Amino acid sequence: MSNIDRRTLVKGSLAAMMAGTAFSRAALAQSAEPILLGISGPLTGPNAQYGAQWKQGFDLALDEIHAAGGINGRKLAYQFEDSQSDPRQSVAIAQKFVSDPRIVMELGDFSSPASMAASPIYQRGGLVQFGFTNSHPDFTKGGDFMWSTSVSQADEQPLLASYAVRRLGLKKLAVLHLNTDWGRTSRDHFVKAAKEYGAEIAVTEGYIAEERDFRSTLVRVRDASPDGLILISYYSDGALIARQARQVGLKQTICAASSVYSPKFLELGGEAVEDVHLGTRYFPQDPRPEVRKFIEGFKAKYNGQEPDAFNAYSYDAMNMAAAVVKIGGTDRRAIRDAFAKVKDVSSVIFGKATFDVESRRVKGAMNAELVVRKGQFTLWDGKPT
Amino acid sequence: MSSWFDYTINGLIIGNVYALVAVGLALIFGVSRLINFAQGSIYLVGAYIGWVAVMQLHTPLPLTIIVVAAAAALVGLVIERFGLRPLQNSVRIAPLLATIGISFVLDQLVMLTFSPNPRALPSQLPDVRFQLGGGTIGPLDLLIAGVGITSALLLFVFLRYSKLGWAVRAASQDRDAAMQMGVDVNRVNQAVFGIAAALGGVSGMLVGMYYNQIDTAMSLQATLKGVVAEVVGGAGNVPGAVIGSLLLGLVESYGVAVFGTSYRNLFAFLLLVVVLVLRPNGLFASTRQAPPEPLTGTFIAPSRPLRIPRWALAVAAAIFAVLPLFPVSFYVLQTLINAWLLGMLALSLTLVAGTMGQVSLGHAALLAIGAYTSALLSLTLNVPVGLAIVGGGLMSAALGTLLISPSFRLRGHYVSIATLAIGEIVSLVILNWESVTRGPIGISGIPPLTLFGYDLISPSSVYWFSLAVMVVLALLQGRLLTSHLGRSFRAIRDDDIAARAYGLSLNRYKSLAFIFGGFAAGVSGGIAAHLYSYINHETFNTQQSILALTVVILGGLGNVVGAIVGSVALVGLPEVFRIAAEYRILIYGIVLLLLVRFRPQGLLGTI
Repeated sequence: MSNIDRRTLVKGSLAAMMAGTAFSRAALAQSAEPILLGISGPLTGPNAQYGAQWKQGFDLALDEIHAAGGINGRKLAYQFEDSQSDPRQSVAIAQKFVSDPRIVMELGDFSSPASMAASPIYQRGGLVQFGFTNSHPDFTKGGDFMWSTSVSQADEQPLLASYAVRRLGLKKLAVLHLNTDWGRTSRDHFVKAAKEYGAEIAVTEGYIAEERDFRSTLVRVRDASPDGLILISYYSDGALIARQARQVGLKQTICAASSVYSPKFLELGGEAVEDVHLGTRYFPQDPRPEVRKFIEGFKAKYNGQEPDAFNAYSYDAMNMAAAVVKIGGTDRRAIRDAFAKVKDVSSVIFGKATFDVESRRVKGAMNAELVVRKGQFTLWDGKPT
Repeated sequence: MSSWFDYTINGLIIGNVYALVAVGLALIFGVSRLINFAQGSIYLVGAYIGWVAVMQLHTPLPLTIIVVAAAAALVGLVIERFGLRPLQNSVRIAPLLATIGISFVLDQLVMLTFSPNPRALPSQLPDVRFQLGGGTIGPLDLLIAGVGITSALLLFVFLRYSKLGWAVRAASQDRDAAMQMGVDVNRVNQAVFGIAAALGGVSGMLVGMYYNQIDTAMSLQATLKGVVAEVVGGAGNVPGAVIGSLLLGLVESYGVAVFGTSYRNLFAFLLLVVVLVLRPNGLFASTRQAPPEPLTGTFIAPSRPLRIPRWALAVAAAIFAVLPLFPVSFYVLQTLINAWLLGMLALSLTLVAGTMGQVSLGHAALLAIGAYTSALLSLTLNVPVGLAIVGGGLMSAALGTLLISPSFRLRGHYVSIATLAIGEIVSLVILNWESVTRGPIGISGIPPLTLFGYDLISPSSVYWFSLAVMVVLALLQGRLLTSHLGRSFRAIRDDDIAARAYGLSLNRYKSLAFIFGGFAAGVSGGIAAHLYSYINHETFNTQQSILALTVVILGGLGNVVGAIVGSVALVGLPEVFRIAAEYRILIYGIVLLLLVRFRPQGLLGTI
């Protein structure tokens, strides 16, 4: 050993060090390149607010996934392409994602026309289209690459009907619904369930999404003399209807679909949404651990802001995507097959989410019966309002 | 009985809200003969400035109103100085396009600054309610009515009795004569834009408080309703705009009363079409008033078109035809497919708007008719897809021409407004005629494109198919333009009185133009339906109509090649700007403004 001079020693160790770094770099390159998901959704245009909410939920979920070690050591990332919820742009995005080998699956789009126009391209291109707000009954019929965690309205509306009719004891209902594919499907399921529970439907009124003025609609509602108003609305129009109903002097119980569940509903509605009942999938004081983790994580990340329904959908969707990629890896077909294999993924909306392979949807959404009291969503205590 | 009283009150209340926008629009139209599509955006800006004032600076209401009015007026002055004044000697249609571009830019700036989430804008007035009939009204209702009526009265007095008001009216009647008499037309325009913008800003804020809600989507709706109200009252007539607004509110309210909520806008737009057909100058126009648009020829000034040699076109077509043989991504092909589909729509619009002078703002309706016809034919009657698309084109040609025929007697801007209304009516009929169109649920599972039994599924085959259809339509249209028909079309556009004196039947030629144009648009819609496999009433919306018009003006009115170049540009640009994410529509708006500024006759010039 003594004839090994200093220079060779230095050289040798240098070489070893260099080899070492080169080796770890190669390994790093493999694990540092994140697994990429494609998102098609609105960042501009009339639905831009929902795209912004998606991002919040995605980013929170990604933080947690990475804190827990990522996907087998690799990071997960998304590429968000703005479609403005316009079918012309969503089909172009679909081709973009399908022909980009880095994209392993796609999430979105927001509206049914934009999502379902792109479905044939995803189906033929063999890339999963995971629509987590797509409640249109025909969405997953587009093919075996279409999967959805959107709560089926066939599941949700009977729960709302049961809350309104059986628990609150309303007997004669006026239904106001957004006149979109979602609103119409929801209305039909609600009306069917409410009639089964023995309620009478006094009047149903569909309004377009841009509508701001409901005073005349509410006169029609008043003349039908219902004992309860059912709102199948989003939070902004739901708040408008509640305000105007109180302004024109309607004092009936208001019961709303879970899509109004948002701090914005309270902000926009003010005093008028006091005592509004709503069925939701989770609520602020919910003791379930996955909900606590979601709400506390969300508030910590976004300066104390309360999460809403769309934040929860996108948060759940990203977690589901992570779970699927964990099983399926980065092969697109394997990912499709992995949707059938994932079991009991922790979910804010479903508690534990498992896909029904037949319908490619998840059944058994959680249900909480809430009421707005003192400007807060609280669990309904069973007292009439 | 008491319900009718309530419906009346509610109609008047919402009419008040419309009046605030309509008065501003009427003022600008009165002076510059311009439908200011940016008025809704100023309304939006006003609402958000109001939010900053109320929520951040905690100003009391009178101060809030002053702050909003001043800031909005400033925005109006900037628009006038930098957006519109440079265009005053260019084609009449350029400022119209500029206001559309300005509204894109303003809406996007607000969205980027304040995020697209809706915000609450609490009213600063005491929350007391007065019982009126079966409902109640609050102080804000009275304030809105007060602002609307007072501003209309003040403007009326200003226009009639003040010196600057005379100048405004003189400039609106004859710009050149006014200038010769020493009226500083620029100052007049400035004054008008400042006043209208201040009013628009304050109205946005008040309406925001009224609903306790402001969001970035409120701008287009405000413009649409404002335009309807303004035209019903008589374009450019300020007191008429208030009465038109109240009438619009009443018609909507009674429409809801009789038929239900989902028919509401249908009545608004039907009212507009009826008024336009019976009294094209609006309900309150005096009979002495000169026709609003003296000659269509002044609306679309012919320019020297850029001549592109035939061999160059042939080479370009050949390059595009062989493109899929090269390793280009499907994304590029899909983007070009979208461009070819938009190109067919643009061909249709450039014929009726450019060659014929009937600037249509409802062209998406022709797409929708074609798409629904083709989808339903192939789904319910099992008609082969190729034939179904032709059927869609024919239906669109027939039904479209029939629907638009009431607007044949109109000129200039009024054609645009009437077609805008007809477009909305078609969309609302699709929404409500559930037994045929399946209403909001839409039509899903539309079979993919097939031709003579071969499935066109791969992006390349769809690409070739849509390119071929577009090229055939373009060649036909090129042939049409050089025939005697094309010359007659242009004669009617340039001087309809001379054309009539020459023995041309205006209605017949207008019908012919719409039949050909309707066919091209219907085919485009039909192909789109089979490509998307799912359509509903939102698939072909007003934005699509506005996009088509932008394409046509950008390419050069009446210019067949220009329509195609414009389509590639306007489909391509937003895709190129994808890298800019949220900023891309802002950049798109700015590019559009620059194009209008430096090439108002369009890229390839008007033919």
